[in-house]
Amino acid sequence: MLALIGRAALFAGLWWALAEGAARDWGVGLVSVVLAVATSAWLWPPTTTRLSPSGLLRFLVFFLWQSVRGGVLVARLALHPRLRLRPEVRRFRLRLPPGAGRVLLADTLSLLPGTVSAGFGEDDLRLHVLDRDLVVEADLRAAEAVVAGLLGLELERPEVTGA
Amino acid sequence: MTGIDAIGAALLWIGAGFFLAGTIGLLRFPDVYARLHALAKVDNLGLGFIALGLALRADSLASALKLLLVWLLALFASATISYLIARRALARGIEPVAEMGADGDQR
Repeated sequence: MLALIGRAALFAGLWWALAEGAARDWGVGLVSVVLAVATSAWLWPPTTTRLSPSGLLRFLVFFLWQSVRGGVLVARLALHPRLRLRPEVRRFRLRLPPGAGRVLLADTLSLLPGTVSAGFGEDDLRLHVLDRDLVVEADLRAAEAVVAGLLGLELERPEVTGA
Repeated sequence: MTGIDAIGAALLWIGAGFFLAGTIGLLRFPDVYARLHALAKVDNLGLGFIALGLALRADSLASALKLLLVWLLALFASATISYLIARRALARGIEPVAEMGADGDQR
């Protein structure tokens, strides 16, 4: 119940922004909020995943900073007089459980420096990398950890990397 | 022109600069995958700066928030569409260009 009230508040805020604060539209707004809450409860029941507020903050900071990095990096590559790229398709082993977390990670990586998501395998994500020297595993793992923190998900333990 | 207006104008110019760079990337990059990078990153960042610049000059808090929502929606759409295009291209067997410009030629 509490979760539904929270969602109603969120959708009311959305409506307020969409109507640009116009008070006379609240009749339609109220109907929209009720329909939105009902739809969201059906598509994404409140019990499945809970967003963590501190996780959200960390995700936003990470995302904004990496977006700027990504934009600047690709813009520099595009504007360089001698265009020099070393792209490759890489497989990234997923440690997030299947579901919303993986989708959010794929979307996030598409917007981050040098990677575009290009399809899921059984337990991996295919990534197109614009320049193989610019994208390091640690950045991808950091994105994965931030997504896990946002959704309160457990990461599978890292595999022992042997010979 | 007040200080806020000046910052807003500067953000709009920065946004326009990123859009220009993104478009140049779209034209210069060698294949569908690399071009997605130009769209999904540079243009999104340009749009972010423009939305922020306009939000600073908006009449009310609600319309400023609306501009930021426009950016968020565009981010989601852009990430999802790049994913779909890249996945389809791989599934159809379109080989990514492996190297470009290292010795002046393209393989």
